[in-house]
Amino acid sequence: MSATQIAGRMAGVDAGAPIRQSSLWQDAWRRYLRNRGAVAAGAVFLLLVVWCLVAPLVSPHDPNEVDFASAYQGPSWSHPFGTDQFGRDLFTRAALGGRISIGIGFGATLAILGIGVVYGAISGFVGGKLDNALMRFLDALYGLPYLPFAILALAIVGTVDFWTMVVALSIASWFITARVVRGQIIILKENDYVRAAKAVGVRWYAILGRHLLPNTLGVLVITIFLELPGVILGEAFLSFLGLGINPPDASWGSMAQDGRDSYRAHPHIIIIPSLAIATLVLCANFIADGLRDALDPRTKET
Amino acid sequence: MAAYIIRRLVWTVPVVLLVILMTFLLMKQIEGNPFRQTERAVPAAVQANLERKFSLDRPWYVQYANYVKGVATGDLGPSLVLRDRTVNDIVKEQFPRSVELGLLAFGWAVLLGVPAGVLAALKPNSRFDYGSMLFSNVGFALPNFLVATLLIYFVSVKWGLLPTSGWTTWQHKILPSFTLGLVPMAYFARLVRGTMLETLQQDYVRTAKAKGLRWRRVVTVHVLRNSLIPVVTAAAPLLGYIITGSFIVENIFAVPGIGRYYVTAVSARDYSVVMGLTVLLSVIVIVANLVVDILYGILDPRTQEARG
Repeated sequence: MSATQIAGRMAGVDAGAPIRQSSLWQDAWRRYLRNRGAVAAGAVFLLLVVWCLVAPLVSPHDPNEVDFASAYQGPSWSHPFGTDQFGRDLFTRAALGGRISIGIGFGATLAILGIGVVYGAISGFVGGKLDNALMRFLDALYGLPYLPFAILALAIVGTVDFWTMVVALSIASWFITARVVRGQIIILKENDYVRAAKAVGVRWYAILGRHLLPNTLGVLVITIFLELPGVILGEAFLSFLGLGINPPDASWGSMAQDGRDSYRAHPHIIIIPSLAIATLVLCANFIADGLRDALDPRTKET
Repeated sequence: MAAYIIRRLVWTVPVVLLVILMTFLLMKQIEGNPFRQTERAVPAAVQANLERKFSLDRPWYVQYANYVKGVATGDLGPSLVLRDRTVNDIVKEQFPRSVELGLLAFGWAVLLGVPAGVLAALKPNSRFDYGSMLFSNVGFALPNFLVATLLIYFVSVKWGLLPTSGWTTWQHKILPSFTLGLVPMAYFARLVRGTMLETLQQDYVRTAKAKGLRWRRVVTVHVLRNSLIPVVTAAAPLLGYIITGSFIVENIFAVPGIGRYYVTAVSARDYSVVMGLTVLLSVIVIVANLVVDILYGILDPRTQEARG
């Protein structure tokens, strides 16, 4: 803005008019766009999601049609990713598998967030002895491996579908999120505007709902992309162990399991879904880094 | 410090009890009873005797109390499927292999990951820095079953250098431990790089440089020692990674350890084995946490005040 423009503004606009402000989110968005790696990762991530949604709609192949005559084909024009041991088109199946993998990934991440927010908010907001007890409990559980508990949960339900997978993956994975939320709430609680709200008699649930939780949103958005890789890999591990979603539905993990026995002769069957998982996880990690730098500049890595 | 250790110890007991309870209640939900599964019809009297022997006819809290008593005295009970063996036998046989696999994986991570992080931090934005961070990112993203399959495909099948699976000679142990060590390796490289860069900016490093100390000595005495503290703290979450990873790695490389047996036991509905292994793994992680927290307090005295 040039000096004349500023002068013009000062003269033309009345003094009480609000100056144009950029919100926290606009600032964050600008900072995010400056991070080339994160932008590229975001673009690839979106592309992958769009592909998963669109490819099955336009594909000429039925993803579940068994045709032994065309089994184990390598990549070609008609089957860009080749076919599996049943002659099913892997291009279509990979896109459908992506829907399931990404869907379960986001489902479980949101479940983790939900449990974490409730636990963390209670602990941080109530404080005192309860906070102490809840946190000592988390201290002890820190790093507990989720896989045995996920396997147990899946064994209980027997038939594995989308929602049982979401439950199994979130049941023992929310400890870190809870701790992060609690930390945020405790910091926010000390702010003057919260004290002021308390002083003028705002009810506790209004303070929590209006002043505390909305301000944790930035951290929660980062947490989504921090948790997503672990959950997607977790689903893949379970599927690879044969505990995945029931066929003929398949996630990327169960597709990789399909290719396990024939990896010597037909490595593409295991490699394609595995690389899809790797791409998604890599992108999510970069997005999380970018979001952290954008939303919380204080913690910017050197 | 003593008060902190005691408080931390005291809290461990209810947490262990609660984890056992959670596992116990989860196991109770699983449909079916191992004795009703057999095709051979068992006479009702025998059935009742069997259930009495394993306390399956008692209320759940009695079973729970019995179980906790067993865990406390180091007895995880009999296997319900392998009738002549106890859970302790199975643990004794399989557990050392899993521990060895985990330690070797951790060894790879320390051997390759820490130096990569140190060198990357000493020359930030160099080619080596970019290379090792790229490796770290990819190491995090690749599912370990792909890494394992590719390693077997190239190293074992194509080049015939190492055996594909099993756990007998040292050659058998290279590929599984390397696969399992990849994520910790990537983690260490990134973590050490970050903490090193931070330490290099500290005033005491500048002072050491300014008073004419040789750079090599500054790095080894002042920078490295302080940068490695977070590595100790990272050991606890990494243990979780290694346990999770071992389920897959043991499965692919046919390592007869706990991770592989766990899945077998779940599908065979061997309750007592699944319970025992879950409790064992949880207790190991909880104890490791405890040790790490205490070590951290000793290594970095500043944390003691913060924790009160």
